[in-house]
Amino acid sequence: MIEFSNVSAGYAKGARVLDGINFHIDKGEFVFLTGPSGSGKSTLLKLIYHDLRPLLGEIRVAEYSSRRISRRKIPYLRRKLGIVFQDFGLLESRTVGENVAFALEVTGAPRSFIRRRVSEALEQMGLGGKECCYPLELSGGEQQRVAIARALVGEPYALIADEPTGNLDPGISREILMRLEDINAMGMAVLLATHDYSLLKDRDHVRRLYVSGGRLIYDGPTGSFAPEAPPASGGNLPPVG
Amino acid sequence: MRSLREALLGFGRAKTMSFFAIVSTGFSLLALGMFALALLNLNTLIRYFESKVEIVVYIRDNADTGRVGMAVEDLGRVEGVDRVNFVSKEEALEHFRRDLGADSDLLQDLESNPVPASLNITMKPGYRDTLHVQAVAARAAELSFVEEVDYGREWLRRMDIFKHVVSVVGVISGALLSLVALVLISSAIKIAVFSRSREIFIMKIVGATNGYIRRAFLIEGVLKGTLGGALAAGGIFAITELFNRKLIPITGFTDRYYLYTVAAGALLGLLGSWISLGRYLRRI
Repeated sequence: MIEFSNVSAGYAKGARVLDGINFHIDKGEFVFLTGPSGSGKSTLLKLIYHDLRPLLGEIRVAEYSSRRISRRKIPYLRRKLGIVFQDFGLLESRTVGENVAFALEVTGAPRSFIRRRVSEALEQMGLGGKECCYPLELSGGEQQRVAIARALVGEPYALIADEPTGNLDPGISREILMRLEDINAMGMAVLLATHDYSLLKDRDHVRRLYVSGGRLIYDGPTGSFAPEAPPASGGNLPPVG
Repeated sequence: MRSLREALLGFGRAKTMSFFAIVSTGFSLLALGMFALALLNLNTLIRYFESKVEIVVYIRDNADTGRVGMAVEDLGRVEGVDRVNFVSKEEALEHFRRDLGADSDLLQDLESNPVPASLNITMKPGYRDTLHVQAVAARAAELSFVEEVDYGREWLRRMDIFKHVVSVVGVISGALLSLVALVLISSAIKIAVFSRSREIFIMKIVGATNGYIRRAFLIEGVLKGTLGGALAAGGIFAITELFNRKLIPITGFTDRYYLYTVAAGALLGLLGSWISLGRYLRRI
């Protein structure tokens, strides 16, 4: 459902940020994406939602392939994904309800359906009754839950979270993680990029991808991960182009 | 419908930016409108002076009236000629007497009428320049019974130069002013769009198509431009009224020109938003 086949990526006139990436995420999986800052985690996520196109290889998301997708079709691919950012990405001038509804309004969904789904998503995130609040009236944890509600309101195949706990204190971070696990338990795949390794504690069975120096170094259960393991194919990445 | 709602909401949410864009559009169009008003009044003045252009063909005293009558018909058919009036010696003397006013007593002792008869030729609008007037005057001068032809050669020449200067200065200044207005308006819209680049990014991330985003922003741009245009039209009307009531009477815009001003605002809002938005939509 999300599949990377020999993917290399980078930005214009710079070094490659990712090289030779291969992995596959199935429906209903929960996956941690880890690695040091600057290792290419965010770039990998951008490739999934096609904010960046690969230089080499192929990325498949649901029925879409990076090799064949036209620019016009990218919005439809993004509707298959729910995306959550570290800085929440909420529109401060819109209420909580409007922020969540926004993700469905752009799809042209009927108003009654939007009202019902917004209410359900906010309830699911423990934000019932906050629909008319503005983001800045909420705590950081609540704002991130609004962002998650917006990501899941369209019932996507997968939820992509880029350092969703980066701006939150440890207690709230754990709560956010549990919310994401609840969503995953209902069958939605979750890919969570983080460098907060405390979140991985007691989750030995959960799948972990470890990216370093632009390469995928590890893909397996968190419990079996050896941080000192050398890269499978180390060294500097070749330049772009 | 949803795009319209989105546009109206966006309009209200970014109040400062919307205000800035409306005022910029309004003042730029007001400046252009004032310039147009000045040109309009200069043209009215030019047309007034042009209406005074007249070719006077003086006729010899012994001229055959039949031939003069034929000449009136012939000259009346020349391209650009509006009217040919025959003024008899008696009428001419009467005019002269009226012109002298209080000094008309001087004419009491005249034994004969010294004032010649004439053909007074007026030209149609668009033909009241040196080239056409001179052509008609030359044709009249060829007639055998003509004593002299007078058409204010020097005055007409200066008038031509004045019209030329007004049109050249008008075109150059108008083009410069339009350019400044366009830069100012597009900058205001660019800033408004830039201030909402985060919003555009989020719209794209949740799966909004370029068309959906563009529609909302374009409707918003047209709304702002229309309000800016209405502001300019109101300003032009107020200034015209001020001149007419307190200063000197001037020619104002007709309803159609007020409508054009508002439409120009709407068009500028549409184009400005389209161009400014393009950058952000291409980026993601």
